[in-house]
Amino acid sequence: MAGPIKAKFVEKEHAVVDGVDISGHWNRMFEQRVITEYTPELIEKIADLPNAESFANCYQCAKCVSVCPVDIVGNYGPRKLYRYAQTGMDLTEAPELWLCTTCKNCLRVCPKEVDMIKIMPAAREEAILQGKFVPAELQQAFENTAKSGNPLGQPQRKRDAWIKDAGVEIPIIKDLARPVDVLWYVGSYPSYHPRGIDAASAAARIFSALGIDFAILGKEEKDDADSQRLAGEKGLFEMMAESNIATFNNYEWKEMVVTGPHELNAFKNVYPKYGFDRPVIHYTTFLARHLDQLKELLKHEVNVKVTYHDPCYLGRHNGEYEAPRKLLEAIPGVELVEMQRNRENGYCCGGGGGGMWMDSFTAKHTTMRLSEKRAMEAASTGADVLAVACPFEVSRFADAVKSTGNEHVDVLDILELLDKSMRGE
Amino acid sequence: MTSGKVLIIGGGPAGLEAARSAAELGGEVILIEKRERLGGTPDRESYAKLTHHWRDASEAMADMAAFVTSNKNVEVKYSAEVKSISGEAGSFTVEIEAGGAAESINAGAVIIATGFQHFDPGRATQYYNYYSFPDVITLTDLEKMLKEHNVVRPSNGETPKKIAFIQCVGSRDRQIGNEYCSKVCCGIASKQAIELREQIPDSKVMIFYIDMRMYGYWENEIYWPAQEKYKVNYVKGLVSEVLKKGDKLLIRGEDTTMSRPMEVTMDMVVLSVGMEPSAGTRAVAQLMGIQQNKYGFIEAGGAGGLDPVATSREGIFVAGAASGPSDLDDSIAQAGLAAARAVASIRKVMA
Repeated sequence: MAGPIKAKFVEKEHAVVDGVDISGHWNRMFEQRVITEYTPELIEKIADLPNAESFANCYQCAKCVSVCPVDIVGNYGPRKLYRYAQTGMDLTEAPELWLCTTCKNCLRVCPKEVDMIKIMPAAREEAILQGKFVPAELQQAFENTAKSGNPLGQPQRKRDAWIKDAGVEIPIIKDLARPVDVLWYVGSYPSYHPRGIDAASAAARIFSALGIDFAILGKEEKDDADSQRLAGEKGLFEMMAESNIATFNNYEWKEMVVTGPHELNAFKNVYPKYGFDRPVIHYTTFLARHLDQLKELLKHEVNVKVTYHDPCYLGRHNGEYEAPRKLLEAIPGVELVEMQRNRENGYCCGGGGGGMWMDSFTAKHTTMRLSEKRAMEAASTGADVLAVACPFEVSRFADAVKSTGNEHVDVLDILELLDKSMRGE
Repeated sequence: MTSGKVLIIGGGPAGLEAARSAAELGGEVILIEKRERLGGTPDRESYAKLTHHWRDASEAMADMAAFVTSNKNVEVKYSAEVKSISGEAGSFTVEIEAGGAAESINAGAVIIATGFQHFDPGRATQYYNYYSFPDVITLTDLEKMLKEHNVVRPSNGETPKKIAFIQCVGSRDRQIGNEYCSKVCCGIASKQAIELREQIPDSKVMIFYIDMRMYGYWENEIYWPAQEKYKVNYVKGLVSEVLKKGDKLLIRGEDTTMSRPMEVTMDMVVLSVGMEPSAGTRAVAQLMGIQQNKYGFIEAGGAGGLDPVATSREGIFVAGAASGPSDLDDSIAQAGLAAARAVASIRKVMA
């Protein structure tokens, strides 16, 4: 596979430097590979793709690199991609193409507005169309989405199987056969993943206790496919969007509440380009709106120190930083502490832009998982609980606290913490 | 003998603007120019387009000259040079030679606008092989070709497809003796890079630099379009040497943001030569006994440092690149100030 870093090494059997014998396998003399040609056309190849024009605009200030979550655990960053292209790397064939999580921290600081959130999907789409290398696990997620309507490859008919154990009645809009105030889009991970189901069940209990007139789509719900779009599968995304919009429009509802920030981004920012333009909010924003009523339900103390991880697609992409914190602060007994990187500068968990389905691939090109880096940061605050608000994160961080020896940190969705306080369990 | 006249030395952009401003303020102006025509370096060196507004340089200089030659308050003397000066502010006597004949001029104030010259890249050594390889040229050489819409490799007359600019040639260099930044070369190189991409659309143009010093509008009017629209490629790290490889030029240096050595062949290499004080500036400063800085430019700034047109001698002012590297906008702005200060100083003496 073509990579930007290649170095020849000369290993000497016996070497003495300044009288010191440094013979050994670690005595490696790296010889720099000479740049013999500049290839502006490989920059233009990317910049010529629709929506990727800004790739050519980088003037190498390097502000993006130190805030890039991938560079922090490896060697990456938009500035570097520009230079790699200038010195011969075809991004559509390079492993670098698949490392970006579209977390948007680079764009936040970029004086030239080089927009990797648009460049990466365009370049990935080109790679897919040209039959270039695509990580196998990502390919699997694409296929699962196309076949089963969700990236986990779970059967569509089991999408609402979780509701029977939630402890409250969860109406299906089709069966209800009447308009509702809130259409709750549950999402794929909260519907199928065991830890996601925990959060979904908590949400159901909270909505129910608040007396919200809500319903879910049940077996008709399918994945939003926004991360598949960001991973380069625009065709698949468009197919899913078309199907979802038709389903959404089949029913009468006033507002849609989503469990996941990626779904929020999809329905609020992307689906409007395909004709869907109705109010959609994230559950944290929705519950913060009902804060006074919610506080009355939060009867039991949850005596833990909590640190909150800002999901990229809730924070940087959609500007919601306060609602999750308000909810956590409303829980009696909770002490909220912040990590070094928080809010606008929150560190990415690695799950965005398709990263959710490229874990092994990414691990090969980084020193540790992004989720592990973040789990360590969370543990360093002394928190007992790492609170999250994105269904991608619970499973990622649950693994990461274990692999970094921080099992004492519980990873819980804000929904689960609210539910604990409500029920006293 | 007190005189109300303002003597301006030099008929380039600064001298022309000083003459115009002084005349418009009611001053009586004598402008002396060494050559037989006005327009200064932009005219002599056949500048193509100016950076601001992309105006044709000949046209812009002709406009400036026409205003001066048509103004009855300005007398222009061609083929003229200063020989000596005596007296003081309000009553200078300046001996000149104009068209071969000696002449004596009484002036109340003097404005020096004797400008700069381009750094000669062969000066100390065979720097970048300028005098050895025909395809190594300077900004000035390329400017002439661009003006004629005939950019070719001097070695064989073919159109160059790969062109590299090397920045800071003769500037910011202690060994050469020019520690200062020449201010304009980043902008001019980028402007020429745009013109190259317009005139030779299938060319690849690279600019090797230490840091791009695109102050003011050059950033958004020149640098950003050069990169974003014209796809000029900028590489941080100067080329150290230019060698011959077949009929191409091999440039060698370090690509600093990659931390890697770089050896790339080019069809043509353009040296972004900086500014030095012109022979006229050095000569005039010496015979007028005014202070020069260590590089030979006229020391300006006055006692408080905030008087950019004052020289060390009262009644003698300086405008434009005679006091240091300066672009056209700045030269012209300084010239207007110098004119105002010259006219005011005369009025003070006459009152």
